[in-house]
Amino acid sequence: MTEIASFAIEYRRFLDPDGQAVQPLPAFAQDPADLIPLYRAMVLTRSFDAKAVALQRTGRLGTFASSLGQEAVMAGTGAAMRPEDVLLPSFREQGAQFLRGAAMTDLLLYWGGDERGSDFAGPREDFPICVPVGTHAAHAAGVALAFQLRGEARAAVCVLGDGATSKGEVYEAMNLAGVWRLPVVFVVNNNQWAISVPRERQTAAQTLAQKAIAAGFGGVQVDGNDVIAVRDAVERALEQARSGGGPTLVEAVTYRLSDHTTVDDASRYRDDAEVSARWKDEPILRLRRHLTDAGAWSKEDEERLIAECGEEVEAAAEAYLATPVQPVESMFDWLYAELPGDLAEQRAGLVAEAGLAGGENDG
Amino acid sequence: MAEIALVEAVQLALARAMEEDETVLVLGEDVGVNGGVFRATDGLLARFGDKRVFDTPLAEALLAGISVGLGAQGFRPVTEFQFMGFFYPAIDQVANHAGRLRNRTRGRLTCPIVLRAPFGGGIHAPEHHSESFEAMFAHIPGIRVVIPSSPARAYGLLLAAIRDPDPVVFLEPKRVYRAPKEEVADDGTAAPLDCCFTLREGNDITLVTWGAMVQETLAAAETLSGQGVEAEVIDVATLKPLDMATILTSVEHTGRCVIIHEAPLSGGFGGEIAARLADRGLVSLTAPVKRVAGFDTVMPLPRLEEHYMPSARRILAAVREILEYA
Amino acid sequence: MTTFNLPDLGEGLQEAEIVTWHVGIGDHVVADQPLLSVETEKAVVEIPSPQSGRIAKLFGEAGEIVKIGAALVEFEAAGQADAGTVVGKVPEAKPAATEAATETELPPAPEPKAGAGRGPKATPAVRALARKLNVNLAVVGATGPGDTTTKADVERAAAALEAAGPLEPLRGVRRAMARNMARSHAEVVPATVTDAADIGDWPKGADVTMRLIRAIVAGCAAEPALNAWYLGLDEGRRLHDKVHLSIAMDTGDGLFVPVLRDVGNRDEADLRSGLEAMKADVRARTVPLEELRGGTITLSNFGMFGGQHAALAVLPPQVAILGAGRVHDRVVPLDGAPAIRRALPISLTFDHRAVMGGEASRFLAALVADLETAE
Repeated sequence: MTEIASFAIEYRRFLDPDGQAVQPLPAFAQDPADLIPLYRAMVLTRSFDAKAVALQRTGRLGTFASSLGQEAVMAGTGAAMRPEDVLLPSFREQGAQFLRGAAMTDLLLYWGGDERGSDFAGPREDFPICVPVGTHAAHAAGVALAFQLRGEARAAVCVLGDGATSKGEVYEAMNLAGVWRLPVVFVVNNNQWAISVPRERQTAAQTLAQKAIAAGFGGVQVDGNDVIAVRDAVERALEQARSGGGPTLVEAVTYRLSDHTTVDDASRYRDDAEVSARWKDEPILRLRRHLTDAGAWSKEDEERLIAECGEEVEAAAEAYLATPVQPVESMFDWLYAELPGDLAEQRAGLVAEAGLAGGENDG
Repeated sequence: MAEIALVEAVQLALARAMEEDETVLVLGEDVGVNGGVFRATDGLLARFGDKRVFDTPLAEALLAGISVGLGAQGFRPVTEFQFMGFFYPAIDQVANHAGRLRNRTRGRLTCPIVLRAPFGGGIHAPEHHSESFEAMFAHIPGIRVVIPSSPARAYGLLLAAIRDPDPVVFLEPKRVYRAPKEEVADDGTAAPLDCCFTLREGNDITLVTWGAMVQETLAAAETLSGQGVEAEVIDVATLKPLDMATILTSVEHTGRCVIIHEAPLSGGFGGEIAARLADRGLVSLTAPVKRVAGFDTVMPLPRLEEHYMPSARRILAAVREILEYA
Repeated sequence: MTTFNLPDLGEGLQEAEIVTWHVGIGDHVVADQPLLSVETEKAVVEIPSPQSGRIAKLFGEAGEIVKIGAALVEFEAAGQADAGTVVGKVPEAKPAATEAATETELPPAPEPKAGAGRGPKATPAVRALARKLNVNLAVVGATGPGDTTTKADVERAAAALEAAGPLEPLRGVRRAMARNMARSHAEVVPATVTDAADIGDWPKGADVTMRLIRAIVAGCAAEPALNAWYLGLDEGRRLHDKVHLSIAMDTGDGLFVPVLRDVGNRDEADLRSGLEAMKADVRARTVPLEELRGGTITLSNFGMFGGQHAALAVLPPQVAILGAGRVHDRVVPLDGAPAIRRALPISLTFDHRAVMGGEASRFLAALVADLETAE
């Protein structure tokens, strides 16, 4: 018997849970001061998530998916991307979206039930939140194909969860990306839980990274709580993609420290003790230790950051709460480039019913 | 001008669209080297190259999904699904994304894509190759559903669909892919979307239909004419959005309507038309609205296929019933 | 309910300032999860939760000073409501009717047109045509499939009606008769038995009406079942001991049926004057309404105009009507030889729901017997 194929999956980490470097740091991380924006991004995300959860609990926001514990995956991915790249998020990537220029108010509007939240002020080509799990992987392949056809040095980044890797369509997208060498990076946020299904019940594959092997390209596993490792891996993958080297799958191993969404109750299916144990691995603490140990972060810095994030988040929440509901007829106004006849009738009926006169669409 | 068949008209329209607009792409299984299993894309790869025409792996959901991605990036993909029976995995992308992207992003991203597939029975094909489920698509908001019935209309409607900024599901009745033939001017003129075509005028009864059934209906209309009954034949063409005004105007002066479609009766699109007639045209009707449609069964395998599909004879029987309500 | 107090933070501190909370009320937290950040002299410190549980209360806001040992967080007692979903909120109670239903005043529902949904079957276009041609679909013979009325049916009926002269709507008394007769027809099960009374022995100048009245009283005495009311809905009858005789009177305007009360206990003079008064009232149209009610049996002396026997309409709730035909001569066997005798034809129509054939016959026999006596 001759072995004709084998594979190896690497696991990469730079900082351990105490914030200590376990190997030489990549260039972007060597000066701790350069890591502060990453730290800030993570703290801001967590602050936003807490606010969003609080709004939901007080009936002022709909169901919301917190990224508690996964901030490094989002910050690392967002920071590695260039403005001209395109992000295709699932529904837990607000950290990356903020880094790329989406407004916090946009996200609040989306989760608050207003479509205008997906009309990001910037970045204009990023895809909106994708609810049907894994269906955006094909979109990412399509976007990457567009870049390839136009000969542009741009890449698509598709962020999915561990659960999504079980979807056939995700493999279909990866398979195409592999065979056509599309400039796309699949970032798998492996937070160990797909609602109540733990990672070990999701697939028998030893890693999620190795699903790339079946599609003919490389996969790497990183410590998802180490923002340096995440950013490093995604950056390399993006370079490879942009230079025609084809796709990569980056599996970021982290932990979902919150419930699946604000209406989920994770204590129904997982042990609190397990969750407790994971808090010591969490990403913000880790980077804070690293920065503090390097003398690059003081108590005053921390206070100031907390205050700034608090203000920003508060301002975004106020702006969201002050945003009036769209006119009712807006449910018609974005279905087609031009509203067809029988729909125009329905629209008129709705407007009449709502007691509005005319209903000028101010676009 | 040579006479051409419907599938050739599709090919002409594709070539014309690709010539005019370099963002138009053709994707699908076997569309490139093989020219499509029905030869609808024949010659396009040779003419436009492999950066415009792509043979994709076997993955229908993926096909629709990458079309969405390409559309959002400003391309106009015309994606072929080999048979309607294999379209179903792509319905997720059509319902959840294609029809919603513009709405979801308030116009920031749009989806100018065409998803085309041969549909319907009558070619003695194996199981699953003869499906008609246009009604499923007609129920999805934000898309168009277009069904040509003749070579000329196939050419014009496909051009219109490709140029349209919104997603179009374009279903081609394969039974009439190769006959009948007619002259089609390859002049880039699009046919109007969102409107019915009155193929034959008459004062005694309105026959509403689409796809391959147009041929059966026209044949029935000829027979009726010989018996002194003049039928008005309307080809719906765009099922969604529906041009009900044309149908209503016709029923106003005939007072009678039969709707003919190959797809199964219950839940079929004929029900939508009948409901709108009941809503807006009731006082014009002098007889019940009848539908002549496929049975609510699985499409039988080829040996029984003919007994499933509505025929001119069945249409005539329905018309006769209605005429008794003089 | 357990309370978590600010633990000793070391550094000899007695108190600390809250920088920010990381959790909110309602959050489920686990042990070691940071609850808040406080400021000490040296650092901003995260305080971990001592336990898992759901936050019920938070003490203190950002910027406030908390003393070591003071309450920070209160946890809910174990066991909280399961939202039973992962998205949105599934209402527990039956959803309240939407605002529109309660706030909007719905326009009053129009009266459903008579015949809509029942009666003649016709498509809307045919109905519209019938309206236009002023044809009542109820009178049109339907020849369409399933007994539907077709356009041709309506056009045929319209032509026929054209030829028949304009529609004269019934009013007043004629309309009442039409309705009463329709009702009678719908309810009553009529049966008729006839005879002829030999009145050859009557003295000259005998008053036929008076004799008939007396004979009816005799008949009612013999068979009280004919002097009753039958109440179909209750399936019961009321026998009357008095005879209140309804007398059918044709006028130019229509049929009047005033009631001569208690004819069995009045003498002839009284009856005659009562009858004359009634006739005058009817002619003058001044019959009070009460006088049209309460009859227990009816007499129709149609013979004054013509005709011998008739099956007349019983007027519910009555169960009988007596018809008197034209007095005429006939040839009858008398003592073995033909003789010419005067005869008064009598028809008794009764409601077979309440009256048996035998009862009717016996009544008739008694009535005829009374008529056949000379005085």
